[in-house]
Parts: sequence; C-alpha cells; structure tokens
Amino acid sequence: MSFFCSSLCRLVAMSVELKLSRSNRIFRPNEPLEGKIITKLPSSISHNGIRLTVNGSVTLQVRGGSAGVIESLYGVLKPIPIVNKSIEVRSSGRIGSGTTEIPFSVILKHPGDDNLERFYETFHGGNVSIQYLVTVDVVRGYLHKSLSATVEFIIESEKASLPDQPVSPELVIFYITQDTQRHSLLPELRSGGFRVTGKIGTQCSLSDPLKGELTVEASAVPIHSIDIHLLRVESILVGERIITETSLIQTTQIADGDVCHNITLPIYIILPRLLTCPTIYAGPFSIEFKVSIVITFQSELLKLNPKSDPRTPRLWLAMESVPLELIRTK
Amino acid sequence: MEFRPRNYTAEEATYSLPRSHADTHPLSTPSPSHHQVDVVDHKKDDFYDPLRGSDANGKVSIDNLQDEENSSAVSKADVGLPEKEWTSFKKLLMQRFSGPKMVSISKMSDVIVKSGKVHEKTSTTMPLEELDDPQKFAEDGIKVISQQEYVSRLHELKDEVARAWRADDRVTSLKVSIKVARLLTDTSVLQFYPTLFVLATDVMDMLGNMVWQRIKQKAEFAEDGNVICSLPENFDEKYICLDAKETCSNWFFKIGSIRELLPRIYLELAILPCWRFLLNRPMDVLERLVMMTRGIADPLASAYCRLYLAHCAQKLPQHNTRYLIICINDMEILLTRFLSEKEATHEKFSENCGSFVSLTEPAIEYIIKCIIKESYQTRAGEVLMDLGLGRKQPCVSIILHHLLKELSSELVGSNALEILQLIECSKDYSFDQCLNYRLLGFRLSERSQLDIINAVVDKIIQVVSAYNNLDEYLKVIDAYVDIILQNQMDNHLHVILDGIAKRACNEGIAEIELTSLQSIFLKLLAHFNNLEDIFSLTHFIEILDMMHGSSRSMVNMHILNIATRNRCIGDPTIIQFIFEVSQSLHDGIDYSNMRDDDNQQRARLISRFVNMVDYGTEVERQLAFLVECRGAFRSINELKETLVRSSNCLAVKAMKDGKKHLSFVKSCIAYSEVTIPSVPSRVRQFILYLETAEIALLGGLVSHSDGLLDSAIICLQTLDLMDGNAERGVTYIPRCMLTLINSQSWMTSRMRTMVLCAIVSLAATLSQFKLPYHANHEEMLGNDHLFFGDPTYLQELLSLSALILQNLVDFIMQEPSRVARGSMALEACNCIASSFNPSHEVLPFFSKLMETAKSCLSSNDKYLHSTIKCTAKFLQTNT
Repeated sequence: MSFFCSSLCRLVAMSVELKLSRSNRIFRPNEPLEGKIITKLPSSISHNGIRLTVNGSVTLQVRGGSAGVIESLYGVLKPIPIVNKSIEVRSSGRIGSGTTEIPFSVILKHPGDDNLERFYETFHGGNVSIQYLVTVDVVRGYLHKSLSATVEFIIESEKASLPDQPVSPELVIFYITQDTQRHSLLPELRSGGFRVTGKIGTQCSLSDPLKGELTVEASAVPIHSIDIHLLRVESILVGERIITETSLIQTTQIADGDVCHNITLPIYIILPRLLTCPTIYAGPFSIEFKVSIVITFQSELLKLNPKSDPRTPRLWLAMESVPLELIRTK
Repeated sequence: MEFRPRNYTAEEATYSLPRSHADTHPLSTPSPSHHQVDVVDHKKDDFYDPLRGSDANGKVSIDNLQDEENSSAVSKADVGLPEKEWTSFKKLLMQRFSGPKMVSISKMSDVIVKSGKVHEKTSTTMPLEELDDPQKFAEDGIKVISQQEYVSRLHELKDEVARAWRADDRVTSLKVSIKVARLLTDTSVLQFYPTLFVLATDVMDMLGNMVWQRIKQKAEFAEDGNVICSLPENFDEKYICLDAKETCSNWFFKIGSIRELLPRIYLELAILPCWRFLLNRPMDVLERLVMMTRGIADPLASAYCRLYLAHCAQKLPQHNTRYLIICINDMEILLTRFLSEKEATHEKFSENCGSFVSLTEPAIEYIIKCIIKESYQTRAGEVLMDLGLGRKQPCVSIILHHLLKELSSELVGSNALEILQLIECSKDYSFDQCLNYRLLGFRLSERSQLDIINAVVDKIIQVVSAYNNLDEYLKVIDAYVDIILQNQMDNHLHVILDGIAKRACNEGIAEIELTSLQSIFLKLLAHFNNLEDIFSLTHFIEILDMMHGSSRSMVNMHILNIATRNRCIGDPTIIQFIFEVSQSLHDGIDYSNMRDDDNQQRARLISRFVNMVDYGTEVERQLAFLVECRGAFRSINELKETLVRSSNCLAVKAMKDGKKHLSFVKSCIAYSEVTIPSVPSRVRQFILYLETAEIALLGGLVSHSDGLLDSAIICLQTLDLMDGNAERGVTYIPRCMLTLINSQSWMTSRMRTMVLCAIVSLAATLSQFKLPYHANHEEMLGNDHLFFGDPTYLQELLSLSALILQNLVDFIMQEPSRVARGSMALEACNCIASSFNPSHEVLPFFSKLMETAKSCLSSNDKYLHSTIKCTAKFLQTNT
C-alpha cells in the first residue's frame, strides 16, 4: 500500500509514510500495533493534528456469474466492521523540514472491550475479503490537501487461544478410478481403466505445508499431468439464501508426464499467505477450503482445448475433491 | 695487400717426392670390429615406452582423479565435490554434446523467441501474469532457431536476471529465472539439452547465490548497517534474526507457488542452501525434493534434474547418501521402463536409444561419483548393498558400469563375484554387457585376491566362450590378460589364444578389433619378454599373420624391440621370423602419412636387427641375408650404411678365419660397392668408400681398392668445396666460422689459431686463377671459373683476410703459455708467408708475430730457426 501513497505525495514533493515495526506486518489482536509515521518535507509545515485510523472489516461481494439475477442487484453487500478506531497522535502544531519520525502504538483490542466482531484473520478472497488497514492523516486546514498514507497489516489469531499442533494430522485415503468419476470419460479411459490412489491431509496447519502422497497404480491411457488444486469455498448469506462459490487459489503440479507406475509421489503444497486463512463459519459468511486432485490424460482433445477451466469435468480428466480444514496452530 | 699467386701444378711437380712401390700396406693391421651394438643400445631411451601408451594414460588420469577425490574426501569430508569440479564437469558436458546447429523449440520455450522475431503474437503479448499458467498443450507448430541464437538468448536472460536484481527488482529476477527453468521441460532439443542445462543452471546458481547473500546480509547486519552477528561457516539456525528468516521463507513461499513441477524443483534447488537459515538439518528437504523429482516422467529431464540436485546438495554442510541412493534407484526404474518400452516397439532403436543413454550418462556418472565419495569413509559396503548388490536382481547396466568405475578397488576386489553375478544378469541396451565384464577385469587388475580371481576368471572364460563376435571377445579378454599372465593361468591363456584364432579365422579381423588385439599382444610381449617363449605360444604367429595396419606394426615393433634387446641373434628360424616381421613393418611404413619419428623408430629397429643377426661361421649365409635385406628394406636409408659395414665386417671376419676366403671377400666387397651408391649422403658415401677400400686392400684386392678410392674421390669432388652463393657473399661460410669461434668461449686459443690460419690459406687458394681441385662434373663450375678476374670477389677475400689477421694476432696474444704462444705465432707466420705477397699491410702483423715468437721461444728452437730461414725469402721479395 505504501507505493500507492508515495505516488500521490510525490506531486507536492512532500510525503508521509507508515512503517510498521514488523517487516512481515503480522500482528495479533492482543498486541499493540506499533510503528512509525515518517514525514519527509522540503520545508516545515503546520497542521491541525495527526490522526491514525485503524479499520478492519469483512467485505462481501456477490459476483454476477454465480448469483442469480436478483442477487446480483445487491452487488456489494454491506461490509461487516471488525474494528474502527481513530486516535490523535499529535495535536495541531508544526512538523519540521526534512525527515521526521513519529512513533505510535495502538491497542487493537482492549481486554475489556466488547468488540463489534471477532478479529478474523486476514484473508484475500474472491467474494469475501478480510482486511485490516491503518491510515495516517496529517490534516492541514482548508487550503491544503491533507497528507495521508495507508498500510495494510495482517491479523493472525492470538497465540493463547490457539490449539496445539494436531498430534497426527488427519489423512484421508483416496482412490480415483474410472468408476469413481461421475462425468463421462474418453471411451479408451472408460474401457482401459486406471487407478490412482493416495492419501492427503484433511486438516492442516497454516504454517505447515499440506502433505500427502499419491501413486499411479495403473492407467491404460498415458498420463499428461497430475495437479493438485487448492480451492476456496466462500459462502455468503444474502437475504434468505446462501450463495456459495468455489474458486481456484493455486494449482500445484506433482506429476509431469506419464510417470512410472507404483512409485510414490509426494504431495507437498505450501499454502499461500493471505489467500488462505483458518476455516471460518460465521453467521453471515463462511470460508472453507477444498483440495482437488486432477489427473489429465493424454488426448488429442486436450490439444484442441488448451485453456479450459481445470475444474470443469472433461472427457480427459479424472478428479477427486477432498475438504480441507485449515487451522492456525501455535 | 695481395695474395701470393700460386701455380699448383708446377708446385706439385717440384715438391712431389719420388714414389716407389710398397709391399705392405701401411694400414694392414686388422681393423677392429665396430661398436655399433653399444651405440644402438644407448638409444634405447628413445624407444616406445609401453607405460606411455595412450590407454595407460587414460587410466592413470582416472586413477589420479580418484585419488584426488579420495584424498579430498578424507581431508575435508564436509566440503563436497569442489566448485571447481562442477565447473570442469559443465565444460566437459558442453564439449561432449556440442549439439546440432539448429534447435527446434516448442512453444513452451517462447521466452527464447525474441519479440517480433517470429510470426507469433501470443508469445510477444503474453503478460508476465500468464507465466503461472502457461499452456503447453496443442503445439504442433514447432519452430527452429539456431543454437547460437538460443545460447545468446540464454545469456541475455541471465543478464536480465542480474540486472533486475541490481535494480532491487527481485520479483522480475525470480520471474525470469522461472522462465529459464521452464525451458528445461522441453527435452525435444535432445543433443542440445546438456548445453541448455549448463546455461540454465548457471542462471539458477547465480540467483541462488544472490538470494543467499541477501539473506546472509540481513542476518548479519541490521537495516541501519549495524552488525547483528557474524555468521560462522557452520552457523546455527537460532542465530538468525526474525527479519532474515522472514525474507528467507518468503522466497520459499514464492517458489512454492510455481505451478509446474520442474521449474519449482529447480528453483528450490537453486536456493537450497538458504534452508539453513530456517532449519538446522536441511537434509530432509533434500529427500523430499528427490521424491518430488519422481513426478517428472521425462527420463532425460528427470536425470538432469537429479544431477542438479546432487550438485546443489554439495553446497550443504552435512551430507548423506540416502537421497542419492534414492535418486539412482529412481533413475534405474525410469531407465528400465524406457528401455523395455523401446525394446517392445523396436522404435528407431539403435539411434534414439543410444543417444538417449549417452545423454543421460553424465548425470549417472556424477551422482555415482557423489555417492562413492560421500560414503567413502563410512559405509561404502552398505551403499553397495543399497545400490543393488544385495538384491540379486538386474541392475541397469549403464548404472552398474559407472558404479563399477567409481568403487574403490578394495571393494571391487572383495565383491568381485557378486559384481560378476550382477553383470551377468544385467543385460539391457543401455550399455554393452561385455564392456562391464571388461571394466571388471581392469578394476580387478588393480588389486585382488587370488582365490576370488580364479573363480572370476573361470567364469569369464566361460562367458566369453559363448561369444561369437570377435570384437566382444577381445574386449573382454583384453582386460583379463594381465590377470591371467600374472597368476600363471597357462591353460586359460591357451584357451583364449585358441578362441581368438578360431574367431579370427571365421570372420577375419576388422579395424575395431585390431586395437584390442594389439593391446592383448603387447601385454603378452611385455610379460614374456623372450621370443622363444612367445613363439611357443600356440596360435601366436597365426594370429599375428592375420593382423594388419598400424596395430600390426605396433606389435611388430615390440617384437623387434624384444629381439634386439639381447646380444645377437643366431637361430635361423628366429631370424627368418623376425625378418618377416621387419619386412611387414617396412611395408607398413607410409612416408606420406606418418610422423617422421615413427618412421625413424622403425628404421632404427630394423637396422638394429640386421646388425645383430649373426650366423656365426656361416658367413655365406650371412651375406645372403644381407643381400636379402638390401632387397627387402629398400626405403630405409640408414640401413644401407649398416649393410655396407656388416658386409665389410663379414669380409674381415672371413679373412681372419683364413680358409679360402678370397672369393667370398670379393663378394662382400662387390656387395658393398654396389650398395654404397644408394646411400643418399655424399659424405657418408665417401667414408664408406674409404672403409671398403681399406677392406679391399686388407684382402689384397688392389684393383678393387683402386676402384673404390676412385669412387671416393669422385664422391668428394662432387661435394661443392666453396659455396659461391652470390647472395650471401662468397665469404659467407668463413665469416660464419669467424663469428662462431669468437662466440664460443670454450675454444682454446690454439684451436682458434688453427682455424683462422686455415681460413687465411683457404682465402689465398680461392684467389688463384686456377684452383687445385675441381669437381669432376661438367655442370659444376669451380669458383675460379665463376669469378675469374672479378675484382669484387678478390676484394671480398682480401678484406676477410685482413679481418682474420687482426683476430689471429689478438688470439695469439691471449695465450697464457709462452711456449704455446711462440709456436702459434710461428704457425701464423708460416701461413702469412705462404699466402700473401709481403706488403705494408701484411708486414706489421708478420713482424709482430715474429717478435712474439722470438721472445717466447728459446733461440735454439728448431721450428723458429726453420721458420726464420723460410721467411727470409719472403721478406726479401719485399725489399
């Protein structure tokens, strides 16, 4: 976000910047948000106060495609506020020329406070976004544009409330054959058959990679690729209806080409930050995750449809989806 | 200054002594026998040294390499194969597969095709975002670009990575690196793939280093430049500050999000050492990467990926072999599948499969080297088991080959039977089985135990007896000959010679087989070192007769060398045999092709042989032999001299033996006389004529002797006495000599004086209108004809003489001994007196020398007196 601000401020040759105390910008709700306001000024200016605003909210949005005509009229739903605080760091006065650093510390959640909402972890999704921003405003009266800067910071759950690492991560065994597929397959696939087995975690700590393994036991048609799709399932309550949309977060190929049969291939997926968060079931919305194992077989048809959506069942694809619960652990 | 005019004819008449007939020749003492043998023996050093053979060379270097590795493994076990080795490995890799000129690329390699260059829109307009979703399907339109273009494009990409990094645009650096890594998915470039690999991994390594440096910097220095800590070589993860760790795991996050498997593995390998900032034992990561590599189905791409993995693992401080063994075993599975598929389809078998195997080979070789090196101290035996020795099932022969190559000789020795069994059951197309048998033989020759050796050799003999192909037979046998010879397994030796003979008879010996055969024969020769033993080997001569070309010559040379090592050769069968050997060697000399020294060596050997043949008392037979030699070895010039000398010797020998030798001596002399003209050098001819003339005289053959002397003189006359080369000036040679004696400090004043006096005399002679000798040749004009009356010619000679006179006086004055100085001065006086007319230019030199002589010598000295007397006349003419 800092580049956003600097491009604006450069016009007037003065700038204000926010620098958080942690380079990864991760804070927990019970920790103070600390950092510095840095102003760079060609000459000293007077101001009517420096304010810091912390804003956290859940943004919900229904996209036309998945929603019906009526729902799409709603468009962007009203965001759900989590935190909204404003404090004055400095009362009106002057800031000298050159670089000035003003430290700040904001308590996000007072122990006794009745907060508006839980501090959900930051999540950048398709329909649901959970975002925390901190903004600084240097107010300069009517004649001057106020200087401001905004930075996103990332909220992770409080350590104290977290469960310990699951002792043994739950693994689910899957097997994919021509008979487990509900869509139509290439005739040679249907007749020749194939069998891919393996296991994969269904519960995974966000700080760990998602692990599992996979073995191609048999396949009459050579395999073109095996990919693991990480999917998010975002549900929003719109009126009386729950609108759910599943979309792709990340694809990870684990087999490229017709791999040898009966050797174990590891599944090892690093969960992307910001794009994942602990699975949430809140009233107005929920965020869940899914893993889908997709086997692409070699086929002439494949060459004709190079850019099809990997989640659409096709004649040359076989797939299996497994729900994935993401958790934050200590 | 002027020369004294001479009339040589008149002088000769005046000064000749009256001649009378002599009964005995002054040279009639028997001439001593020559010392040729010794001389030849001294030259033995130049002879072909079997230790310097090219084969041996190769082996030595491999051994050295191993030694080096071993020692480095001992001294710094945790350093791994040094970076230098990787560099040279890469260089070799690129040299070995220089690749085709044109490279066909699939659309995947879009990054290679520069914007706007090729008809395609997609590649140029593709935004970076699409990187993560490349559509590698549906590509029938394969493009072709030149290899050079490809390489230079890769260099550009490398620069781009570096440039972006310097501009703090690390995202671009990473993105371009991913593009480069993605190129490695396309193995359709085949022969170009190794080059591509080297160039692409260069980019990976560069990126890896930059990331490492950056994180290290973050760990060691705070943002404000203050030192946080200084990391030791073997640092612990807990000393790394959070900020650095954060940056580091960020890199792994970014790389983890790469969709495609191969680039993801390459990139993680590139920054593999950075795991050390996060973990203390990054070896687990390595194992996971090995497992991930299994997902790459293309055997070539996955082999090279494993190669890169082995290389990157060297950068970690700890090592183990587990992951490498998984690597090799996985490669084996892939190879087995590949080979069986090829076998099933018979699809362009030899060509495609062969090139594939040779492309994969470097990866196998490198990984096995790493395994052996790392397991060297600890558990080499276990590794051997892990790699398949224990499991009694076929092993892919190319892997077995490299394993066998790298194992320590102790291990090979003690596990020879097991290895043999493995070789026996691994019979696939990746590597010729017989070459593995062969390698085992070579490895066993390094070191082995007798009981095991016996069993192995028995088995090998059994195996090869089933071979119909001579080439394979020889290749295997070649490796075991040394073992068989060293352990005196005579019956085996017999069996293999028999085997060779049988197979060679059936199909003849092809070019490729000759090399092995040569090697086997040289080993036999080196072992027996005695011709009788060698001839007694059944089939030896039979097989030798079937050989041809340079291998035959090589073997022949060795035989000759052995034959001529002893004093002399008297056994007629051996002589006959060696004569034939020499003859074939001689016929094999190809003057247009071969190096000079090679020819010389053959000539030398043959001459030595001729020289050493000794029929004892059967002199006629020996002469017949010489005649035969002259016919047989026409083109060897140096031999002709030997022949003449031998025949002369023979004549002397016959004379000494005494009985009815005359006609025989005549035959010898006639032989010599006929042979001498074919000696190319005139000087040599001259000397040989003289020698022969002496022998003729010795034998009382005066007319023969006369004839020979006549020939000698003709010979001498044809030598051009004075080089009248106008370009260099007539006095070129004397002037050269003058420079020479001035420059050589070892020359005594006496020698200098003699040379200078001779030059003065020469100059005086050359100035005459008629020279004392002329070449007996119409077209060869003497200097007197060439320069008759030419004033510049005369002037040249005079100026030379003046120069010499000055030098002469100087040198004489330098002589420390009085007596010597005196006699030298007198000599010079005589020379001056006979060469010059007394003139005011000459006289000062003359009188100075005279003074010197008088002051140095006693007044009773006879030489002084006679000189004074003589020169008085000279001085008179002046006055």
